[in-house]
Amino acid sequence: MTQHKVAYFYNADVGNFHYGPGHPMKPHRLSVTHSLVLNYGLHKKMQIYKPYRASAHDMCRFHSEDYIEFLQNVTPQNIQSYSKDLLHYNVGDDCPVFEGLFDFCSMYTGASLEGAMKLNNNACDIAINWSGGLHHAKKFEPSGFCYVNDIVIAILELLKYHPRVLYIDIDVHHGDGVQEAFYLTDRVMTVSFHKYGNYFFPGTGDMYEIGAESGRYYSVNVPLKEGIDDQSYVQVFKPVISNVMEFYRPTAIVLQCGADSLAGDRLGCFSLSTRGHGECVKFVKNLNVPTLVVGGGGYTLRNVARCWTYETSLLVDENISNELPYTEYLEFFAPDFQLHPEINSTNNANSKQYLEAISKHVYDNLKMCQHSPAVQMTHVPGDFFPDEYRIKDEPDPDVRISQEEADKIVEPKNEFYEDEKDNDKDPPPEPKEP
Amino acid sequence: MSDCALVSNVSEHDASMDVGNDKSLFEPSVEMMVNDFDDERTLDEEEALAAGEQQDPKAELNSLQREGDMPLEELLALYGYDRSMDKPVPEQAPEVVPEAEIEKPESALQQLYSETANPEATRCLRSGSRPPSEEEDDYDYSPDEDDWKKTIMVGSDYQAAIPEGLCSYDDALPYENEDKLLWNPTTLEEKVTEDYMKKVCAMTSGTTGVDAVPRGRQLRDDEEALYLLQQCGHNVEEALRRRRISAQTPAHASLWSEEECRNFENGLKAHGKDFHLIRLYKVRTRSVGELVQFYYIWKKTERHDIFANKARLEKKKYQIHPGHTDYMDRFLEEQEASGGNVVRPVSPTPMMEFGPSPATQPDPLALGEKEVFSQLNAHTTPPRALSMEDPEPPTGS
Repeated sequence: MTQHKVAYFYNADVGNFHYGPGHPMKPHRLSVTHSLVLNYGLHKKMQIYKPYRASAHDMCRFHSEDYIEFLQNVTPQNIQSYSKDLLHYNVGDDCPVFEGLFDFCSMYTGASLEGAMKLNNNACDIAINWSGGLHHAKKFEPSGFCYVNDIVIAILELLKYHPRVLYIDIDVHHGDGVQEAFYLTDRVMTVSFHKYGNYFFPGTGDMYEIGAESGRYYSVNVPLKEGIDDQSYVQVFKPVISNVMEFYRPTAIVLQCGADSLAGDRLGCFSLSTRGHGECVKFVKNLNVPTLVVGGGGYTLRNVARCWTYETSLLVDENISNELPYTEYLEFFAPDFQLHPEINSTNNANSKQYLEAISKHVYDNLKMCQHSPAVQMTHVPGDFFPDEYRIKDEPDPDVRISQEEADKIVEPKNEFYEDEKDNDKDPPPEPKEP
Repeated sequence: MSDCALVSNVSEHDASMDVGNDKSLFEPSVEMMVNDFDDERTLDEEEALAAGEQQDPKAELNSLQREGDMPLEELLALYGYDRSMDKPVPEQAPEVVPEAEIEKPESALQQLYSETANPEATRCLRSGSRPPSEEEDDYDYSPDEDDWKKTIMVGSDYQAAIPEGLCSYDDALPYENEDKLLWNPTTLEEKVTEDYMKKVCAMTSGTTGVDAVPRGRQLRDDEEALYLLQQCGHNVEEALRRRRISAQTPAHASLWSEEECRNFENGLKAHGKDFHLIRLYKVRTRSVGELVQFYYIWKKTERHDIFANKARLEKKKYQIHPGHTDYMDRFLEEQEASGGNVVRPVSPTPMMEFGPSPATQPDPLALGEKEVFSQLNAHTTPPRALSMEDPEPPTGS
């Protein structure tokens, strides 16, 4: 296995935000994760960046200007003067205005954006930003604890260099924000594995959501039922991703590792272990495609930290012990103090047949990708080419052939052959004709 | 009809799946004959089956009846069904048909799937995971509505603008000089880095805080030391020398004074985990970020235990409202980590770190949560001297 160059983006302040009392999203999980990464000695295996902070301008590459301006200006102090906007932008319960909201968005978005840029520049093979992955945010409103969709912005950056970007989402919730942003394009394929049905947030991710217009068949949804365990999950994940790779052949991947698909999550309902979750990450890593790895959901703090630490170790090919190192947060991991705690498996509502059938459904849809007009699949080069190369592909085939043929055939006048290629002896063929 | 009966009889997932497959043997076969688009692999197979079926409708009905009474395993065996084999059946379906039509030949998946999509009483929306009392008039999440299904919106208000074609970074990167490379592993041999880390470690151990804890076999990465090494052009000697000089001064954020801690705890009692308010009225010397950081360290210390114990004693005689199970879960979880710890004298009780919050909390942000508290407090605490704290914040300021 080739050693991947891994870059890790972490802003030391990103964990010190708080969504408000009782809110399940706890940015401090990022600090705890980072502390474990450090204490496991993984830090020194990676390029470490204190990332760029995204500007409002960067955010407007996807989001509407009005919305970003609102995010920039609203604070807990002045919130009352925005009461109309609060309703308009659906801010409140799930997505509260908290102190430092814009700074928080700017930090996690900047890290994802920079990760994408480093990948584009081949500065690394894998870019990790655990603070990113806020996949629900919509163009003009926040949703599901997500304000700015760093994934969409990072993918837009990747699209500068990459003809086809694959987005994989293993959060327990459907990656609706990303899917919606790229619903009409074939340059991004979104693949989301999620719990669907029974009022589960966000209510999208039906298996019949397959994209529209040029993007038809480029949105892939794998709806699952509650309680899915490692074995079942991997049984679906691997074949689906293998098929996606075969049919779509992406040149870059964004992997959203929402840790709320782990067993015992406060909001999730799956039964994955950290090992099972990590298995998916390892599988994507071994595809050897430049990959941006981002976080996402995850509402049982200690398990999120465990999961992302373990996945960091997988991405840098380092074995780490099951015994957690001493950290200032050690007490959070009581009573077992282990990286891979025992999980109480719940009832898996996904029958083998269902999983097979849904994989098959995905496969059938993927086959349609081949037939749909995806110009860039054949014509766009894998990376930036100098202009003189690119021009070659563009002219009318007829013109180009004659031009190129001419170029190839033309020989200097002073270099004539003596044999049958010799044009001087034009007359000889004539006698042969009769 | 017999297969319909079967469906209603057997509600297990496997059962309906098998039935679905069974069904698909009959239904799509006709369509398959009409439809000249087909996967060649399955064509012959399908035709053979279809031919068999069409011979005698009565016999077919009879056999269906028999199959309806047959255990599923036998039924499968009868059809020689290897489960991996039944996949090709609906394969010809998609072609160019719109989604709605795809459903038909995929009846197997359809049946399994409809169970997924079937709205039931469980409330799993994010908001739904919150205590019932917190439920507000949030039209988006009202679980009583049937339209929990959302659709993906299409239009310029929703999609991202995809850049045309590919381009290069011809101009300077927008973030240039705004990011900071703190460490690059490729410059030095791993061994050299590790030795350096060990030396740094030896230098700092025996001081205070986390550093005072014996390392065991884990070697902690010190981001500051690594950054220093990089700043010194990866010259280990130089980095160690500078490290020695700076070792005296504490590199970490300044320690919290006793007064700050006390104010913080009072703030927590008064405002719950609203760090913005705590900062505003209690601990002005710290940023909200520092408060948050402090909170997570603090909550796993003895100080927290004492604080919590005190809060618990204050409301010991009151029962927690039995209806709020979600609420209980939430706080149980919060406290869970400390539960199994033998060192702890205090058995964790949910609620303990929350003092009574004023019923007339004007902050609209925390309203939902506050409502929960105030409801609970109505049962648990007498309206005791809240007023000794600072007056409640005028939210507009």
